Amino acid sequence: MLISHNYKSLFAPIIVLLVGGALFLLGLYPDISMILGGIALFLIGMEYMEGGFKAFSGGLLENVLEKFTNNTPKAITTGFLATALVQSSSLISIIVISFLSAELITLTSAVGVIFGSNIGTTTTAWLVSVFGLKIKISVYAMPMIIMGIFIPLFLKENSWKGIASIFIGLGIVFLGIGYMKEGFETLKDGIDLAQYAMGGYAGIFVYVLVGSVATVAIQSSSASMAIIITALATGQIDYANALALAIGANIGTTVTAVLGSLKSNENGKRLAVAHFIFNITTGIIAIVFIYQLAELVDYLALFVGIGIENYTMKLALFHTIFNIIGVLAVSPFISVLVKFLNTLFIPKGTDKGKPKYLDNAVLALPSTALSAIVMETKHLYENAFDIITHGLNLKKSNLLSSMELDEVIRDLDTHKSINIDLFYNRWIKGLYGEIIDFSTKAQVNMSPEYIEELYKLKLANRDIVEAVKDTKHLQKNLLKYTSARNEHIKEQYNDIRKGLAELLRNINTIATTDEEDVIILLLSKAKIHMQRYDIITNGTLDKLIRKGLITNQMATSLMNDSDYAHSISKNLIAMAEVLFIEIGSDLKKLHEDMSISDEDVDNMLEKKG
Amino acid sequence: MGIKKFIESVKESLNLDECEKIGKKKSIKRLMEKLRSRKDILDKVPKKKLDKKEKKELKEELAIISLQIKKGVKILEELN
Repeated sequence: MLISHNYKSLFAPIIVLLVGGALFLLGLYPDISMILGGIALFLIGMEYMEGGFKAFSGGLLENVLEKFTNNTPKAITTGFLATALVQSSSLISIIVISFLSAELITLTSAVGVIFGSNIGTTTTAWLVSVFGLKIKISVYAMPMIIMGIFIPLFLKENSWKGIASIFIGLGIVFLGIGYMKEGFETLKDGIDLAQYAMGGYAGIFVYVLVGSVATVAIQSSSASMAIIITALATGQIDYANALALAIGANIGTTVTAVLGSLKSNENGKRLAVAHFIFNITTGIIAIVFIYQLAELVDYLALFVGIGIENYTMKLALFHTIFNIIGVLAVSPFISVLVKFLNTLFIPKGTDKGKPKYLDNAVLALPSTALSAIVMETKHLYENAFDIITHGLNLKKSNLLSSMELDEVIRDLDTHKSINIDLFYNRWIKGLYGEIIDFSTKAQVNMSPEYIEELYKLKLANRDIVEAVKDTKHLQKNLLKYTSARNEHIKEQYNDIRKGLAELLRNINTIATTDEEDVIILLLSKAKIHMQRYDIITNGTLDKLIRKGLITNQMATSLMNDSDYAHSISKNLIAMAEVLFIEIGSDLKKLHEDMSISDEDVDNMLEKKG
Repeated sequence: MGIKKFIESVKESLNLDECEKIGKKKSIKRLMEKLRSRKDILDKVPKKKLDKKEKKELKEELAIISLQIKKGVKILEELN
C-alpha cells in the first residue's frame, strides 16, 4: 500500500464515515454497526502503531533502509523485513520516496523495497489469523491499551512514548478484530452472506471486484484482509471466494497508491506506477492460476502443519504465496521497469529557487528529515555558489577546472554588474525560508542529538545567505576597481577575487572528496589564507597609503571590501565544516579536536612573518 | 529506569565507553597515518627546483600537516 499525503488526508473522513455509519445502524443492524466500529478501531490501531514505530525507531529504520538496499535481493529482503516489523507499508513507502528525493538510494533499490514491502504487508494477515482471532480481547487487548496509556506517565523519553503507542495500537487492532468477528458472528444469525457464494470464474471475478472496491473505500488493504479473514473465520464467506477477495484487496490497494501519489513528487509518482504494475501483474497471475495456487497452498499447508480445515491460516498463506510469486515474476524485469519509469514524470524545467528535497511526509522521521535538510542546504549552496561566482566576475567553468588561479582571475565573466538582489530573491530568499520552516517543524520530533545537528545546519544556512549578501556589497567596488587605471588598487581587488576563487575551488574539492586528510588540510589552509583580508594588521593598507599609491577614497573602499571578503570567507568555511563533513563520519567526530584555532593561525602567521 | 539510564548501565557493564575510545583512537591513527605519508612525500620534494611561490606553498602545507600531527598525538595521549 503505497500511501502518501492523500491517505493521511482521507484517514479522518473515513473514520468519521465508519463511526457515523456504526451509530446510524446501531438500532436497526447492531451487528453491521459492530463490524463498522471494528474496522474503524482497526484503522485507528494501525495509525497508532505507525506513529509508535516512527518515534521508537529514532532513525534506526531509516538507517537500515538506506544501508541495506544496494542490490535488488537485499532491497527486497529489507523491504519485506521492515514492513513485517513495523506493520506499515505506507511508512516504508514514505521513507523510500524521501530517500529517492534525497538521492540516498536508486530507483532500482526503491522498486525492490516496494516489492519486498508488498510481501511484508502479508504478515498482517498472519497476525490476524494466528493471533487476532485466537486472542481473547478482554485478556490481552485491554491490558495492552492500559499499559500504553500508563507508560508515558512514568517514562518521558520519546522511545518509550513510541513503545506506548505500539501497545495502544496493537491493543486497538485486536479490539477491532474482536468487534469485527463478533459482528460477523451475530450477522450470521440474521443474514447469511455465505448464501451469496459463487463458484467458477464468474465468482472469482465478482469477488475480486468486491475486494477491490472495499479496499478502495476503506483505503487500506490490511483492514480489508482483516475483514476477509474474520468473515471467513465466522463462515460468512467461503474459502474460494475469500481467495478472490484477497486478490481484489491487492488490486484495490493500487488505486490507493495512485491516489496517494497524486500530491507526491515525481519519485512518488514513479514508485506508484511501479507498484501499480506489480500488483496488477500479480493479480492477473493469481486470477489465472487461482486453482493451481489453491492446490499449492493445500500442499504447503500440510507441509508446515496447518490443518486442512484451517481456512484463515490457509488464506494468509495464499496471500503470502501469490505476492512472493509476483515478486519472482516481476523481479527479472526490474531494470526494464526502471528504464520505463525514468521516462515518466520528467519535470518541465527546474526552478532553482524551489526546494527539491523537502517533503512534509518525512517530518516525523528525524534521520530522513535531517538528510533532506542537508541535501536542501547543499542545493542552497549551489545557488549561492553561482551568485558569488558571478558577483566576483568569475566564470564557473574556469573555477571548477584545473586552470591556474591567475588565469581564472584574468578571464572575466562579464563587463557589467549582475543584479545580485534579483538572484538573491529568486534563488536564495524563498529557499532559505522553506529550509528554516521545514527545520522548525522537523525539530518537534527530534532527539537532543539531532536537534544539535539541526542547529548547526541552520547556522550553515545563515552563513550561506550572509555570504551572498556580502558579495552584493563587495560587487559594487570590485567591478569599478578591477577595471581602474590605478594598477595598485586593481591588484588589491584582484587579490580579493583570487582569494575567494581559491576558497570556492577548495570547498568544491572538500565537497567531492572522501580523503579526510585533504579535507582537514584544505579547511586549515582556508583559515590561514583568510587573514590576507586583514589589511590593517598585515600592513598592506599602511604601505599603500604611506607611499601615496591609492587615494583616501580607494583606501576606505578597500578597507570595507576586505572586511566583506573576510566575512564571506569566514561564513563559507564555517558552512563547509558543517555541510561537507558527513554526519556520523569519523572526521565529524574528530574535526572539533583537530581543526585549527585562531590562536594556531596567529602562531603560524607569526612564524611566516 | 529511563531508556537513557538503561543504555548507560548497559554501556558501563559491557565496557562500551572503552569501545568508543578505541574507535576514536583508530580514527585518529588512520588520519595521522595519512598525514604522515603526505608529509613524507612533501619532505622528499626537491626544493631547489621550486620557484618562490611553490616553496611558500610547500612550507605552508608542511607547517599545517605538522600542526595536525601534533594535535593528533596530543589527543592520543589524552585517550590513553
